This record gives sequence, structure tokens and C-alpha cells, in this order.
Amino acid sequence: MRNLRSISALLAATVAFTTPVFADEHLKVTDEPLTLDIHFHFRDRVVYDNNWPVEKRAAELTGVSLNNVASLASTSSQEAFNLLIASGDIPDIVGGDSLKDKFNLYGPQGAFLPLNELIEEHAPNIKAFFDENPDLLKAAQAADGNLYYIPYLPDGKFARAWFVRQDWLDKLGLEAPDNVDELYEVLTAFRNQDPNGNGKKDEIPYFARQWPELLRLLVLWDGRSTGTDAAHGFYVEDGEVKHPYTGENYKIGISNIAKWYKEGLIDPEVFTRGARTREELLGNNVGGMTHDWFASTSGYNVSLADEVPGIDFRAFLPPKSVSGKRIEENRRTLLKPDGWAIGHTNENPIETIKYFDFWFTEEGRRLANFGLEGEQYDLVDGKPQFKDEVLNSDSPVNAQLWAIGAQIPRGFFMDYSYEEQWTNEIALEGIKLYESEDLLIPEFLGVSMTPEEQEVYDRYWSSILTYMLEKQQAWILGSGDVEAEWDSYNAQLERLGYDKVMEVMNTAYDRQYGE
Amino acid sequence: MSMRETVGPATEELVAEAKESQRDRFRRRAVWLGDHMRREWQIYLMLLPVLIWFVVFLYKPMYGLQIAFKDYSIFRGVAGSPWIGFEHFQTLFGNDQFLRAIKNTFIISSLSLLVGFPVPIILALMFNEIRNERYKRTAQTIVYLPHFISLVIIAGIVISVFSPSTGVINLALQKLGFEPIYFLTRPEWFRPIFIGTGIWQEAGFQSIVYLAAIAGVNPSLYESAVVDGASRWQMMWKITLPSILPTIIIMLIIRIGNLLEVGFELIILLYQPATYQTGDVINSFIYRQGLQGAQYDLAAAAGLFNAVVAFILVMAANTISRRVSKTSLW
Amino acid sequence: MTNLYSRGDRLFVIANMVLVGLFTISTLYPFLYILAVSFSSGFAVTSGQVFLYPVQLTLAAYEKVLSEPMFWTSYGNTFIYTFGGTLMSLLLIVPGAYALSRPQLIGRRFWNLFVAFTMWFNAGLIPFFLNMRDLGLLDSYFGIIIAFAVNGFNIILLRNFFESIPKSFEEAARMDGANEFQVLWKVFIPLSKPALATITLFCIVSRWNGYFWAMVLLRSEDKIPLQVYLRQTIIELTADDEFAVTLLNADYSFETVSAAIMICSIIPVLLIYPFVQKYFNKGILLGGVKE
Repeated sequence: MRNLRSISALLAATVAFTTPVFADEHLKVTDEPLTLDIHFHFRDRVVYDNNWPVEKRAAELTGVSLNNVASLASTSSQEAFNLLIASGDIPDIVGGDSLKDKFNLYGPQGAFLPLNELIEEHAPNIKAFFDENPDLLKAAQAADGNLYYIPYLPDGKFARAWFVRQDWLDKLGLEAPDNVDELYEVLTAFRNQDPNGNGKKDEIPYFARQWPELLRLLVLWDGRSTGTDAAHGFYVEDGEVKHPYTGENYKIGISNIAKWYKEGLIDPEVFTRGARTREELLGNNVGGMTHDWFASTSGYNVSLADEVPGIDFRAFLPPKSVSGKRIEENRRTLLKPDGWAIGHTNENPIETIKYFDFWFTEEGRRLANFGLEGEQYDLVDGKPQFKDEVLNSDSPVNAQLWAIGAQIPRGFFMDYSYEEQWTNEIALEGIKLYESEDLLIPEFLGVSMTPEEQEVYDRYWSSILTYMLEKQQAWILGSGDVEAEWDSYNAQLERLGYDKVMEVMNTAYDRQYGE
Repeated sequence: MSMRETVGPATEELVAEAKESQRDRFRRRAVWLGDHMRREWQIYLMLLPVLIWFVVFLYKPMYGLQIAFKDYSIFRGVAGSPWIGFEHFQTLFGNDQFLRAIKNTFIISSLSLLVGFPVPIILALMFNEIRNERYKRTAQTIVYLPHFISLVIIAGIVISVFSPSTGVINLALQKLGFEPIYFLTRPEWFRPIFIGTGIWQEAGFQSIVYLAAIAGVNPSLYESAVVDGASRWQMMWKITLPSILPTIIIMLIIRIGNLLEVGFELIILLYQPATYQTGDVINSFIYRQGLQGAQYDLAAAAGLFNAVVAFILVMAANTISRRVSKTSLW
Repeated sequence: MTNLYSRGDRLFVIANMVLVGLFTISTLYPFLYILAVSFSSGFAVTSGQVFLYPVQLTLAAYEKVLSEPMFWTSYGNTFIYTFGGTLMSLLLIVPGAYALSRPQLIGRRFWNLFVAFTMWFNAGLIPFFLNMRDLGLLDSYFGIIIAFAVNGFNIILLRNFFESIPKSFEEAARMDGANEFQVLWKVFIPLSKPALATITLFCIVSRWNGYFWAMVLLRSEDKIPLQVYLRQTIIELTADDEFAVTLLNADYSFETVSAAIMICSIIPVLLIYPFVQKYFNKGILLGGVKE
């Protein structure tokens, strides 16, 4: 009897031990276990950890394990990367965040291997992804037409939204503003009618944690504030690259913003208030409206419920512009400059690209997004569902996932449904509201320039942008008048080389996205 | 008889003597050197480790100064990057904003020197006049604290002190009947605020050098002055200050050498596009340029420009000082 | 003894103390502010309630900081770098400055220029880094200690002080048959206590605050100093844009934790100064030689 039991125990153990391997044999990338060195340093704080459960699982499945060689002392990912390149000891894989321009600069110089052929022959899943999204492939490539890195591809549409104190609207008997004129009325009402009820005119109708979010107001006069993930970026209109801080609509927009600023509708200290803006202004019950990230901003309703009773800070649809257009300029980017590349000294490029490809398979994608089955999530009707312990923990879900090696910016395709599961109710409502209309506009995914083009850009652009921002701030603050200075502004831009920069931008753009 | 024969033994002797004395001189020098080394070898031994240190750690990598003249790629390295001569300098000097940055750097630095240089000295002198040891020691410790507080905090404090709505300065202004001023967006206020912050932060720490120098003054000088009936004030002027003058001069020369070095960290934290016109300095300008992609070469060119100008200033100051006061850096 | 203080003198002394007092209070403020933040709750700080004294008093920040093993490791490392670094600096600088102050040194002006030159011209980050790598000094305690042991400023300062010591002291010693080492050890060092104390303080302070090169040259986590750890902690607790988690109700926030770490790193610096101040007493023991 005992023998039978021990034999069945042994059998069970053997089956349990070998089942995953048997079931996912097709994911194996190499027969002999292979270790690759990786330098992976991101967000100034995280370094690849050989002991991450996700890494271990991936090693089990593919036969490839990664060994970190990045410094644990560095507090700057960019600096760590630069030193790595300077030292010449480039490992098998190099990755991190905000590296696209560097990959595309040093790749053509020989630091990284071009991936196009490797993908064509050995990475069917990546190939399939790029076949479906040819624009993303174009956007990621370097000026010589080669792809040097596998990017981190976010999923999900919206990023920031317009938020307003619905409870103040209710108190004043107003509706969420539908167009720019109503917006003006609402902000004025917030300023003058004392919605926080303390008898003092201390309300700050429109505030912004990051002052470029103030410039989102420009879309109300059919201007733009940026076309990229970052502030002050270029945008594309009718196949042409342009910059938002030029043009008639910009002038009209700025003069209106200046007027609103003067009337006290915009936070007077918007330029210096800084990272604590939401806590300060919402926490002290003086902030009325902003444009900021869905999830985090909605969270204040919960965290401030005691401090500010009745607070109802929720998303509302972007107001229509003067021409009747309703757009949400900010979207989640489709292509991040994060990801990983193959170092030129790598002796196993084929296995490496297959390993990269693993993350685009169904299992790999799930591993990268959700973690380990049975630990972080369970499969319910074939869809991963986070366990209750994960969703109800003190630590935010994404922090928990980073701690095990999931959701890190390796080259993978994110899955929005992971985020949806722990986004708070109010944010989800807001997102649904935004999805109900056609609000998004095409994103400008950047260009890769040849060394000559880059030189022109480097030479002129920084000074041009500096000048633009100087004038912009002066106009908003009222120490300058945009109408009066408009002609000299444009003349100066030309003198600073604006046309030259736009020329190389468009040449690069046509080359990159053309055909 | 031929001319040659007239170059007779006398001349030959002269020539031989000349050569002899040349060799003599050389031999005498060598002997003197040998003697000198035999006597003074210990000094050279003491100097050697430091010199080796400088060569190994600071002089050896100085080939990197070339980066200012190259189209530098970190990957290709200094040797592998092409030489482009003065192109970076042309780029910089062709840029009005860079020229403006130079102007701002110079103005901020010289004002800082004019107003700020005496402050630690005065502070040290004032400390010197305090009789109560405990008060003196405590105060000294406190005033040197801001040096240790990270610039982010200091900037945060400055921003809130000058805030138009809640800052103490504006509250005081309003009490006096004035309108509040958004100081940190006004170009005319940037320099005073920045310079003032710098002085306030560093005065205590910088006074330490002078306190040490004052401590080295021979006390018998004071004793005889007391006997002569001098007041505290006179003693300070006639004894203390002159005694620490060499230290002051050295510090002044070094400070002059730092005329183009306005640290960018605090600038970046305090400036706004609206105050670039008075607040943008060389280092903050380069910082913004560099953000466009680790432009080490451009930064190196600006740095080299800084260093050369600074060094010329220092050499001038040093030479003047050497002639006038016999104190100098070298 | 006649009355030492005249009326004018007394006024002078009082005005002096008042001015010094005012200045001291103003410089005390940031320290008090950080102290207050470190003992306040995260919420109080982020909503801007803390100015001078703690609001919602809590030890949560200190608990978090002191419970992390990395805090203690990095604290210990800082002591190693500071002590080792300062010792190494003194060993190199003191004899060097002495030698440079001797008038009989051949090429004295040249050597001084050699030293001073490096105060303005340096090779840049990457070449310095590559040099360290070639010397095999990356990721090592010794590397950090030796590579930043000397700077021109300290040498020149000390040399200047040595030069101001009257010749009579030196001559007295030489008459007794002392060699250069003995002169340095028995005469110059005791007479230069204030200057040595100053240099030591500067070395200690610079080592204690040093983080940039530690960050660049080190690779293993167990060697990092306190300032690097502080920076890592601040960055780690600073919320990402996209996933900014509101820690409004947390007992600690990144501000209170970084304030706690800052206080922990300032305390030793506060304690060091009184020791150094002892050497600033006027009247060095001159004993033995009259001017």
C-alpha cells in the first residue's frame, strides 16, 4: 500500500514537474540552455533582476535565461546607458526606457544589430504584429531603414482627460461645459460665485500639475499644444509635420489664454506650483478643473473623501472648439522609445530574436502583462483575471507587477485589460464616456534623421524652442502682447532657422512614412 | 705665412678655455644639482606621491579635451570620432542665446563676487568678536548647515518664500499696501533672488576658511594693542584683517577663476522661460542643448571656453597679486 | 585693569550679536523645515500644511527608513569612504603642500601651476570614467577613496598657510638637527592646526556629500554610499506619471521619507563641526620661540 502511494506521489510529482515543459515545448528557443547578458536599466530606478519570477518562468519556457550586467548604483538610466556604450563592453542585450533615439544613433554606427532580416526569418509573431501595424514599424526604424530595437508597445487609448468638480457644478446649477464659450462661463462662475462656500474668493478654476497642460486649452481655438507623448512636440496635419506654436490659431489661442489668466480663471502660480498641485488645490478645496491622467486623478475622489466631503471630480467630454470640433489631443502613445536591442557582440542573434519573439506569443504576452498563472492571476474563460489578493493589496497592482518582472519596458505588446481590472470606477466611467465619441486624432510618432539632418536639428531647434517658450510665457503672464509682437515673432523664428528645421523634419518624415 | 697659421695657440687656448668653462659650468651645475638632491631629497619625496596622483588621475585622461574639437560619438570613442576643428565653437558663438548666456553668467558671477565675497569674511570677523563661546560655536554650526541641504529643498523654500499668494515676502508687501509680485517670473528679480540665495546658502561654510585664518593670528599682537589702548574696532582693522589678507587674496584669485562657473542646478530649479533673458547661464544653456541627445562634444567645447577664459583671468589676477602682495597661487 | 570696553565697543558688540543672531535664525529655518517634514504625516506634507513644525506627528518615515537594511549598509559605506578618503587625502596633501611651500624647491612655480591648472581644466566625464576602468578601479572602495583624494584647492590652501609660518620656528628645529620630515611633523603640523582642521573638514564634508562619482563608478549595490541610497529612495518613491498613485492617506510619503534620510545624513555633519571648532581657538601654543 505504501509503495503504491509513494509511486503515485512520485508520478504526480513527475507529471507536475514536466507538464509545463511538455505543454509549451513549442516555445523553446534553444535545446541547450543559453544565458545571455543583459544591460537593462529603466526609470532611473529599476535594474533587471535575475530572480524575477517572470524571468525565471520565461527561462523555463524558452531555455534562455538573462543575466543582469547593469550597475545597481546608478540613479540615471541614461547615464548608465552612455557609460555602457563608452566602455565598449556592449552585452548581448541592451534595453531600457527612452532609448529609441540612442538605438537609432548607435545602431547604424555598429553598436547594435539590424533586426529586419532576423525578424523576417525567425520571429513570426513580431513579424505578424508589424504586418498588422506597418506604421509602427516605420516609426521605430532608423534613418537607414533598419529596425534596431524591439519596442514596448502600449495598449489602451486614453491617457489624460478633462476633469471638473461636478459637485461645484451641481451647487451652482451648471452643466459640464459643452463648448469653449460655456467653458468660459463655468470657469468664471467658479471664480466669482464661491462654490466652495467659504466666503473667500480663493477658488482656482483651472489648474495644471504640469504647466504645459495649461496649453491644452489651445485646442479650443483650433490650435494644438503637441502631437506627441511629450509637451511642446511637433504634430502632423495632412501629411505635413508642423509645430503647434506657430500659426494664426496659436495666436488667437494664446491671446485668449492670456485673457483668462488675467481674469484669474487660471492658477496664477501655474508655472511654479509643481508636483503637489492636485494635493494642494483639491485637498484645500479650491481647485475646480484640470486636464490630467485618468486613473490617478480619479483616485483623489477616494483619497480626499474625508477632507473634502462630497468631492466629485470627474471626467467630462472635451469642450467643442470655436469651429465645433471636439478632440482629445492627448492619447496613450502607440510606440514607446523603450524596449531592447541586440548588441553587436552577441554570438547567438538567432536565439536572441526568437527569445524576443517569445514575448509576442500568447503565453509570452500574458506573462509579460499579468505575471504567473496561479500566482497573480487565474484563467477565467480563457481570460486572465487577477486574484483578489493582488487587487486588494495595499500596494498598487502595477507596483506589484514591477516587483516580479512584469510590465517592465522590454520589447512587448501591452494588454490594456490588465490595467482595466484595477482602474477605479470613476476613471472607468470617464473612459467609457470618452470612448462613446470619436475623439482621438493621429499621433506623431517621431522621425529618425540622417546625421546631416540631425545636425541641422541639433544646431537650431533648442534655441528656437527656447525662444518660443520665452515669448509664450511672457504673453500668458501679460508682460507681452501676442497681437502686437506677432510679426516680429515670426520674423525671429525664421532668423533662428525655423524653416530649415521644418525642412529636415519633413524630408525625414516623407522618407520614413512615405510610400 | 697663411691666415690659418695666425689662429695660433692663443686663440686655440681661448677656445679650449671657453669649452672648458662650458663643460665646467655644466659640471658645476650637475654637481650643484647632485648636492641639492642629496640635501633636499626628502622634499622631493614628499612631493612625488601627489604629483603621481595628478598624472594618473587627472592628466592622463586629459586627451579628452579634444572632444571639444570632434564630432564625438560615445560608441566610436575619442580616437574614432572625426576631427571638426572649431565648428562647435562656431555653432556656439553664432547662437545669440549662447552669447546671452555668457553675458548672464558674467553678470551674475561678478555681482555675486562683489556682494557675496565679503560676506563670509565679515561673518568670520563678526564671529571673532563674540565673547560667549557657546553662542559662537552654536551659531557657527547653524549657519553652515544650508550648505548641506540639497538644492531641491532650497529651491522649494525659495519658491514658497516668494510665492505671490502665500509667500512671506508678498504677505509683507501686501501689508505695506503693495500689489503682490510673481517674483520668479520677473526677469528683473531673478538675479537678485538667485545671487541672494547663493550667498545665504554658502556664507556660513565659506567663512570657515577665514575663521581658521583668524585663529592663526598671533595673540600677542592683540595683547600689545590692548596695552596701547586700541578699541575692538581698531584691532579688527589693524590686526585681524591684515593678518588674514593672504588667505583673502588666495580665495579671491580662485573666485575670479570661477567667474564663468555658475552652477546650473539651482538655476534650472529656479528659472522659467520668462526669466531666461537674465537667468540663463552657460551651464543651463548647455544642459538644455545636451538634452537633445547627450551632446558631450558641444558641452566640452563650452567647458573648454569656460576654462580658457577663467584661466586667463586667474593668470592675470595671480600675476598682479604676486607683484603687489607677494601672495599668489603660483 | 582699565575698563576694556568703551561705550562704542559695547554698542559694537551688541549690534554684532544681533546681526549674527538674525542671520543664524534665517539659516536655521531650512533645517527646521526638513526636521518638521520628517516627523509629519505624508498627507500633511503633500497638502502643503507643513511650514515650521510637524503636523500630524508620526514616526512612520523614520520607521520606514531605519528598517531598510540598505540604509544601514550605505551608512556604513559612507563612513568607510569618508574615513578612508580623508586619511588618504591627508597623507597625500600634507607632505605635498609642505614640499610646495619650501622655497628651495626647484621649479616651484611650475609645480604650483601644475597643481592649479587642474582646478580649471578637466577631461570630462567619459574620459575620466574610461581611465578608471583602465586602471581596474571600477566598483571598488579603493577606487573611490584614491581617485578623489586630492584637489588643487586644498593643496593651495594648506601650502599658503605653511608659507605664513615664521621662519624662526623652522630654524630653531633645524639647529637641533631635524630633517625635513621631522620639521614637518614636529613644527609645521602642530602650528597649522586650524588649517589642517579646515582641510580635514572639507575632505570629510566632500566625501560625506559625494554621490555623483559613486553613482558612476560603482556597480554593486552593497558598496553604495548614503547619498546614492537617498537618491534612489527619492526616485523610487516618486510616482510615475501614468501610474501616479495617490499616497494622500499614507503615513509617509516620498517627501517625509527623504526628509528623514536627510536628517540622518546631516546629524553626523552637525556633530563633527564642534570638534573642528576646538582648533579654531586663538593662541596656538607658541612656546619656546620669541619673535
